[in-house]
Amino acid sequence: METIDDFLLLVETELGLRVTSREAARSFDELTGWDSMNLLALIAAVERNTGRSVSLARVLEAANLEEVYLLTVRGAEAIG
Amino acid sequence: MDGSEVRPSDPPATLLELHRSGRLAAEYPAVRGLLAGLSGAQLAQAGQLLSRLTPEAVLREHPGTPALTVAITGHGTLSALRPALTAEMARHGLLLRPFLADFDSYVFDLGDPGSALYAADPDLVLCVLDPLVVFDETPTPWRPADVERVLDEKIGLVERLAARFAGRARGTLVLNTMPLLRRFTAQLVDHRSRARLGAVWREANARLLRLTETHPAVLTVDLDPLLTEDVAASEIRMSIYAKAHLSAGLLAAYAREVAQLARHLAGLTRKALVLDLDGTVWGGVLSEDGPAGIEVGDGYRGEAFTEFQRVIKQLGAQGVLVAAVSKNDLAPVLEVLRDHPRMLLGEDDFVQVIANWRPKHENLVELAAALNLGVDSFVFADDSAYECGLVRYALPGVGVVALDDEPAQHVARLLHEGWFDVRELTDEDTVRPARYREDLVRKTFLDTFDSIEEYLRELDVRVRLVPATGDEAARVSQLTLRTNQFNLTSRRLQVPDIRDRLADPDASVLAVHASDRFGDNGLVGAVLLRRDGTDLHIDNFLLSCRAFSRGIEQACLSSVLRHARDTGTRSVYAAYRATPKNGMVRDFYPRNGFERLTDDGVTTTFRHDLAQIAAPPATVTLTDFLGVNA
Repeated sequence: METIDDFLLLVETELGLRVTSREAARSFDELTGWDSMNLLALIAAVERNTGRSVSLARVLEAANLEEVYLLTVRGAEAIG
Repeated sequence: MDGSEVRPSDPPATLLELHRSGRLAAEYPAVRGLLAGLSGAQLAQAGQLLSRLTPEAVLREHPGTPALTVAITGHGTLSALRPALTAEMARHGLLLRPFLADFDSYVFDLGDPGSALYAADPDLVLCVLDPLVVFDETPTPWRPADVERVLDEKIGLVERLAARFAGRARGTLVLNTMPLLRRFTAQLVDHRSRARLGAVWREANARLLRLTETHPAVLTVDLDPLLTEDVAASEIRMSIYAKAHLSAGLLAAYAREVAQLARHLAGLTRKALVLDLDGTVWGGVLSEDGPAGIEVGDGYRGEAFTEFQRVIKQLGAQGVLVAAVSKNDLAPVLEVLRDHPRMLLGEDDFVQVIANWRPKHENLVELAAALNLGVDSFVFADDSAYECGLVRYALPGVGVVALDDEPAQHVARLLHEGWFDVRELTDEDTVRPARYREDLVRKTFLDTFDSIEEYLRELDVRVRLVPATGDEAARVSQLTLRTNQFNLTSRRLQVPDIRDRLADPDASVLAVHASDRFGDNGLVGAVLLRRDGTDLHIDNFLLSCRAFSRGIEQACLSSVLRHARDTGTRSVYAAYRATPKNGMVRDFYPRNGFERLTDDGVTTTFRHDLAQIAAPPATVTLTDFLGVNA
């Protein structure tokens, strides 16, 4: 998994939620069908998928899916 | 040949496709089959997709889908539980109607009978307790005595909540033991204190477990055994950052247990375990190796098969009907079951042994007919992936236990989930296999007669219709849960419901006891009555599938009607509520002198004016004492 599209495909398979790359930049509050509880399931899925452990404390502070992608797939340095 | 040939090639992809195209609700009956062979991770994923589906959407498409309202409350974040339970229940063809309580609100939810939880009128309430219930409230630094004090307060609180729930609600409250985490025990440096912490912790968990002895409405799931099977109790980051104190894996295992309970409460109890023989009950291939060559009792693998047989015997002793369906000739199979010196299981341990060369799913359908059971009350275990795949595909309602060529794993595979879990065991359960075997003897006896009347006369059926006692409440509840065919309304009642009726002066619960020349049938039926002034209502009429068509039902109804007339009743009212399985009793009331009042397509109501009451069948000897209120 490398690109944001790969990541959004994972979001759809794992959570049943289809999100476009444009919507990924919208805050969670504005994302239809998003529930704050989805984030925990998503993090677990990303870790299972990449075999890497993510910084949960930082991901929980993410404002949207794009930030989650940068933190979990690209590594924390990507977001600075 | 591999079993995958008869399965959809990629069930997770099929599920995702159904979700994408918005057809999950329309195709819901197929979902059970798609979930059947999924791994834990795949099932978790499927749970996320399925929990995006509202139960209403499914019920609109398939109004007959059994649904249970389950309230989820507790101490920590439980977001993983809803999708896990959705998927586990869907595996059984059940719909989860969830009520999700606010975070950490269990004290309010259960303590206030005006709460939204009580208003949701749940069938099941899951109050999930975790170790932080206690450690959130211990001081820093702490000693075992601090934990003991908080434990005492918290368990006392849970006991009070349970008592309140039991007094006010209809459903079942499910509690759980709290795992003791090393992250706490290891904070004590001396072994003596650590031992004391372990002791007070277990005493508190024991109090939670013992609540099931004092409150029939409460069940406690012991999480410790689930943790012995490669499941972590807690994930530290999730616990600290997200307050999700129990791991997703543990909640999934817990959901598996709860779904089996839900299945039982929805009246879909599994009743029979059907076993393959070669490679399942013994090692080797009987038709090639011969009776002397099969592996059982001796040698490494032989001992593993014996261990499996021991567990089968254990299940059979608790009312599970054990049958065999094997691709073999019958004679050598019977020779092994009767004479093999190392076999633990004998012919008597099986209600029926079917050995032939026909496809197994056909044999399963015929076995179900012979036992008068639905095929979806079967669990099938086989070491062949092909046979498992075929049965899953042909009969999606059958629970399939896929074994393989490692017999040491057979026990764990079979017991991985509580296929045969029930709320409680009754006296009836311990003798059930013997009674089913007697029934098969009855059927052979029947074949020797030219007419049913002649058969019934010789059968010498004796019926005793009397008010049920408190001790029989569990059996009567079980009849409402297990009986699907001769069940006029299919209203499932739990033990507290039956006790309420026993205590109600206007209600009465009549127990039907039957026996015949082959032996005692036990408590085989129940009639639930309610008096309303000069009217009597038959709320439900139930008869075990082992007992109908012998005149027992006519004898009992006739007795109820005569008693009603003799005690000044004007009219007797009754109802039939159609389900997919009780079509055989649709005309039970009109055939016995009731007139039809209303019919809305599902429920038909009837009235009997007591002017003419049919006499009980001459072939039945009836003893009745219906008490003053019936």
